[in-house]
Amino acid sequence: MASRTGPLERRKSTAGEVAPVDWEGRKAFVGFTSDDAQLLRDLRPVAEAYAGEVVEEFYRRFLSFPETRAFFADEARLNRVKAMQKQYFLGLTEGEYGEAYLRNRLEIGRVHQRIGLAPRWYMGAYSIYMQLTFPRVLAAFAHDLEKGQRAFLALLKIITLDKELAVTTYIAAGEEIITRQSQEIVEISTPVIQVWNGVVVAPLIGSLDSQRTQQFMERLLERIVETNSPVALVDITGVPTIDTQTAQHLVETITAVRLLGAQVVLTGVRPAIAQTLVHLGIDLSGISTRSSLAAGLRVAFDLLDLRVVAGAAPGARE
Amino acid sequence: MTGSISVIRVGDLLLVTVPPDPDDPTVGELQEGVLRAMEQYDAKGLVLDISTVETLDSFFARTIAETAQMVGLMGGRTVIAGMRASVAITATQLGLTLGGSLTALDVDRALRLLGRGAQGGAR
Repeated sequence: MASRTGPLERRKSTAGEVAPVDWEGRKAFVGFTSDDAQLLRDLRPVAEAYAGEVVEEFYRRFLSFPETRAFFADEARLNRVKAMQKQYFLGLTEGEYGEAYLRNRLEIGRVHQRIGLAPRWYMGAYSIYMQLTFPRVLAAFAHDLEKGQRAFLALLKIITLDKELAVTTYIAAGEEIITRQSQEIVEISTPVIQVWNGVVVAPLIGSLDSQRTQQFMERLLERIVETNSPVALVDITGVPTIDTQTAQHLVETITAVRLLGAQVVLTGVRPAIAQTLVHLGIDLSGISTRSSLAAGLRVAFDLLDLRVVAGAAPGARE
Repeated sequence: MTGSISVIRVGDLLLVTVPPDPDDPTVGELQEGVLRAMEQYDAKGLVLDISTVETLDSFFARTIAETAQMVGLMGGRTVIAGMRASVAITATQLGLTLGGSLTALDVDRALRLLGRGAQGGAR
């Protein structure tokens, strides 16, 4: 890691969902210094002179691809976006790269994320910018190419930072979706069904993480107590794969059930699951396991000293 | 706290109801009382009703497990009955076990379990 030249500052979230950005730390890492800020400030007249044509060329590229053209439905909209783009472009050489700049860039990223511009176009656009500005910057500093080079590098740094912020907003949006969805998955209640007097069945669907295990364990134990059921069938037919953590969670649940005074029969142990359990060296030897729920139900009946007898109960025949 | 634990004799079994929030001396007293009664009545089994217990600490869990072992040495079997769901969850998370003692959903089932002389803890 590069040493930090500025103080590490934790910022309050400035653009809705985006988590606080360590803006000073980011600038320090890409090596963006006050010299760079000065160089960019010096570029301002150059940028002003070229902004119009750079933006025009920029949109020519955008309009020549159907996917990006789709974002500009009409002339009015295109002109509005061009004006905003020019503002953005000039913002690069504004000379102030503090909190306001950060907020502005995050907001721009968020807008692009919201209209659904895929990162490939967004990131690609920066490349177009670089291609368009490089020759112009060099031309403007023809008398002092060394400074021109440093100025271009400064531009590269600030654009890199802009790209990072854009990516940050996209990731934040993605993470928000993931968080919301996993919350929904957790909320889809795990049913614990009483199938017989003294027998509950808990079908598990999907993978078991710590949070779900906790919820599942609570529901299962509460239902066992509620229904006064000495046998619980935990069916893992719907669990795609088992890793050591999932197995550990299952064992925990089973241990807790035993403390209550009930017993778990683990059902739905498919061949693949059985193989995995053995290969992972997970010891379930103290636990009744069966491959099917039906077999588990038979175990439950045995434990309760119940017999299923085929026969002609009065009125049971058609 | 002396006298807060009563060991009740039911046939050839012993029944102890553990108070809601047993402190360490009470837990010690429980063990003493149980072992004395085991000797006195030559009981075949012990039912520990913990249905009112709201928190299970490591000392309590260990003493219970040890008591069950001691009762075993004196020829009796111990069933721990009526643990609450929330207590079971906490105990599991803390890694507290009851040393593999027999358990039952309630006292009724515990008495039947011991009366029947069955193995397994789920009847």
